[in-house]
Amino acid sequence: MSFAQVLLENVVRVAKEHNAKRVKYIQISIGNMLMLNPEQLKFCFDVIAKGTVAENAELEVEVVKAKIRCMMCGKDFEEFVGICDECGGIVTVEGGKDMILKKVEMEV
Amino acid sequence: MHKIEVDAEIDLLEENRRLAEENRKILKEKGIVTINIMGAIGSGKTLLIERTVQSLKDFKIGAILGDVIAKDDYKRIAKYGVKAVPLNTGKECHLDAHLVHHALEDFELDGLDVLFIENVGNLICPVDFDLGEDYRVVMVSVTEGDDVVAKHPEIFRLADVIIINKIALADAVEADVDKMFKDAKRLNPNAKIIRMDLKRGIGFDEWMEWLKCVLQSRGRS
Repeated sequence: MSFAQVLLENVVRVAKEHNAKRVKYIQISIGNMLMLNPEQLKFCFDVIAKGTVAENAELEVEVVKAKIRCMMCGKDFEEFVGICDECGGIVTVEGGKDMILKKVEMEV
Repeated sequence: MHKIEVDAEIDLLEENRRLAEENRKILKEKGIVTINIMGAIGSGKTLLIERTVQSLKDFKIGAILGDVIAKDDYKRIAKYGVKAVPLNTGKECHLDAHLVHHALEDFELDGLDVLFIENVGNLICPVDFDLGEDYRVVMVSVTEGDDVVAKHPEIFRLADVIIINKIALADAVEADVDKMFKDAKRLNPNAKIIRMDLKRGIGFDEWMEWLKCVLQSRGRS
């Protein structure tokens, strides 16, 4: 819910800056390590956007994957594992923690 | 009426990061060691702060007690005469840098050695909200099931200290403490991992040893 809240605040601000009457479409990207469910995020956003300039706006969520790699052998992983199953090296995570408002389409 | 499209490229989590850095700067300037204590409901977070406050008599301690509602945790800590501030989040399931920023306004920060921030009981939501702390402590108990560590990798990955509490109850709830320890070690090989049973005094010395080490390294001893 706090992620939806911060999104709405920023969308409303952008709309105001452009004197928009209505926000039609919003595109965001979220890192997979934030472990947010896009459908839940959309639902929360729809609920709190009611009565604002972003009511009924279409929200598109792109999930960006973190780079999860073993520091020793360089093996890539889909999910965080901690220790590499191949060589026992330490696996590090890069990225996957961002939430970016990419695009806003509005009627002015 | 016409349509316009704006390429916004706004970092939505920037605000929390900025406020967390601000908190960190304020606390660092005063030489205060700040510890964010996270963990599930009933894992022993408040008791850990209570016991720590009792044994760190020579230090000036402050505590921010996050809770959705009620001030019970706050009362438990305030009775020891340390400066404590209750922080009710309402429906929010975690503290954020903004809430902590305001809570800091209630403190006389000069002369304070340690600030404990007890997060809302939750293993998921607090993870991505930096408060401006120096160290993150995650506390779990064997009664949550011995798969609790493996099921919440992110909070353990980013912890400095991992405490497995209530180990004396492990047999009664059929929990495998070694499995929990191994899971924690696998997710975070650098963390200090402590087997504890606070009510029976097990592992508390190890915790105090870590804490005193941290205080010493910051010139607070």
